[in-house]
Amino acid sequence: MPDSMRLPPAEISQLSLGYMRLTDAAPLILAKEFGIFERYDLDVTLKREVSWANLRDKLVVGELDAAQLLAPLPMTTTFGAGGIRGNLLTGLSLGLNGNAITISTNLWESLGLRYPDSQPNALEIAKNLAKKLNDRGENERLTFATVHAFSMHTFLLKMWLQAGGIDPDKQLRLLILPPEQMCDSLARGIIDGYCVGEPWNTVAVEQGIGTVVATGYQIWNNAPEKVLGVTEHWHDTHPATHLRLRLAAMEACKKMTSPETRQSIAEIMSLPQYLNLPSKLILPSLTGNFRFSKNESPVNVTGFHVFWDNQAGFPWRSHAQWIVKQSSALLGKEISEDDTIALVQQSYRTNLYRDAARHMSEPSPSQDYKEENRHASEWNLEPGIQLGADLMIGEKESGD
Amino acid sequence: MKTAPKSNTVRVMLVDDHPSRAQLVEENLKAAGFEVLSVISSATGLLYQIEQHRPDVVLIDLQSPDRDVLESLAIVNSHSPTAMVMFAEEDDPDYIRQAVNAGISTYLTEGMNPEKVRPVIEVAMAQFRNFQGLREELNTARTQLEDRTLIEKAKGLLMLQKRITENEAHQLLTKLAMNNNQRLRDVAQTVIATLSSLEIRK
Repeated sequence: MPDSMRLPPAEISQLSLGYMRLTDAAPLILAKEFGIFERYDLDVTLKREVSWANLRDKLVVGELDAAQLLAPLPMTTTFGAGGIRGNLLTGLSLGLNGNAITISTNLWESLGLRYPDSQPNALEIAKNLAKKLNDRGENERLTFATVHAFSMHTFLLKMWLQAGGIDPDKQLRLLILPPEQMCDSLARGIIDGYCVGEPWNTVAVEQGIGTVVATGYQIWNNAPEKVLGVTEHWHDTHPATHLRLRLAAMEACKKMTSPETRQSIAEIMSLPQYLNLPSKLILPSLTGNFRFSKNESPVNVTGFHVFWDNQAGFPWRSHAQWIVKQSSALLGKEISEDDTIALVQQSYRTNLYRDAARHMSEPSPSQDYKEENRHASEWNLEPGIQLGADLMIGEKESGD
Repeated sequence: MKTAPKSNTVRVMLVDDHPSRAQLVEENLKAAGFEVLSVISSATGLLYQIEQHRPDVVLIDLQSPDRDVLESLAIVNSHSPTAMVMFAEEDDPDYIRQAVNAGISTYLTEGMNPEKVRPVIEVAMAQFRNFQGLREELNTARTQLEDRTLIEKAKGLLMLQKRITENEAHQLLTKLAMNNNQRLRDVAQTVIATLSSLEIRK
């Protein structure tokens, strides 16, 4: 831990930090509950918000100083896609992966598949689903939901369907629903399935209304997920506070590598002011001992949440670039190569990560971009910089 | 209060989980000359409602979890007839901040002149604030009532324990409050806690 006395003094010490009712809010809750913010002389109030739109708007108008954001939001908000416009940026990723795809128990049973003793084969299930859909007829569509249009959930869902041979443009009806309504809609047969962050897959499994058919990791190994977002104006006027905030969050992310910490944070997160759900719903994805279906035993899963290892905190501009491409396709608006680069450089501030890492005496990558879908296991980008697997489902090598 | 032009009335849809507040806002919007197409409590069925009514403006509670749903309509539902953008497309950060503080978010049809919609939002904002104010007043009244009950109880206990008059008990409480630099309510609470436990030990 860096000596907080050596850091430039914070411009303000009282901060409001927004987050959503999701398991991967863990590092922020940990930093608060374990007194890490305090050690950086930050008096942080955590504010639970009900929608990404609300979180983003409050951040843009200054009701919040910083917030947990979906990885695409810094770019899409800066670009002004679909809501309030404002220049947002991040200097820290709050973790990789964390999502899963759940389908209704009825749809799962109609596929006639059996669960293996290990993780299910996400690609095989998608292929079976495609076959089932094609058997139903030419104009048949699947109805799936995600929690926000510009989210990794939307992009991962499309990747998974596509890998199985389903055309998302023609055979998918995509809805946006709040997580709570999602389980209800699944139970009532309004949707066939959804892609959402934890604990909302485990909730469906425990209720016996859904079966998990793919983890986010299986679709894209170590995909971007959440970032710590601030406005450009706030960063420019509070650079020292922002540094302290990043350092506290990074320390919390590092603590999340310990299994004991993951156990205890699940207990804390179950409290009414945080997730307000039993810890048994929060634990599975954190411990990696995950139940895919109510009647099956839990199995060990790979990389469900990665908060620190393999440079998980680094805000890769290659991730941001990929996200802009997907978002522009979703919007049906062309964003030129030059505009994309400008947007990515403005929103994902790799140097802010490097500054913080230096203060923590931690290594950080010297480049801003990396290749994806090349590595099936951990690899070295440069001496001292180990990165995780980065395969994508169904392309070249299998993503499993 | 500004009123909308009689011809070409702005057609408003209201999404609010608080029925009493929604009713207030609706009445005031109508009084100001706007057409309120429908008031719904949750965005379940929002797509259908929008297809049916084709509103110019959708007003939604900022705290509604359905806001992501509403924003997505223009993006993921290509068959949705109403493209919606937030009023905040207008570069008027103070105004947006006021709306956010009042607790209201606004979306309007693309191509709609935000200036024409401004009075709609002003009515809604004022009403949202009033509603908040009413609620705070109610809370204050409730706290005052609780305070008085506590103080009365403490006085009663003191009178019984120390065999003093009501007036003396009141003076004792006031003195304790002044000496300890505490509110009368807090002193009353301490007195009740202490004397009640004495009562039990007897």
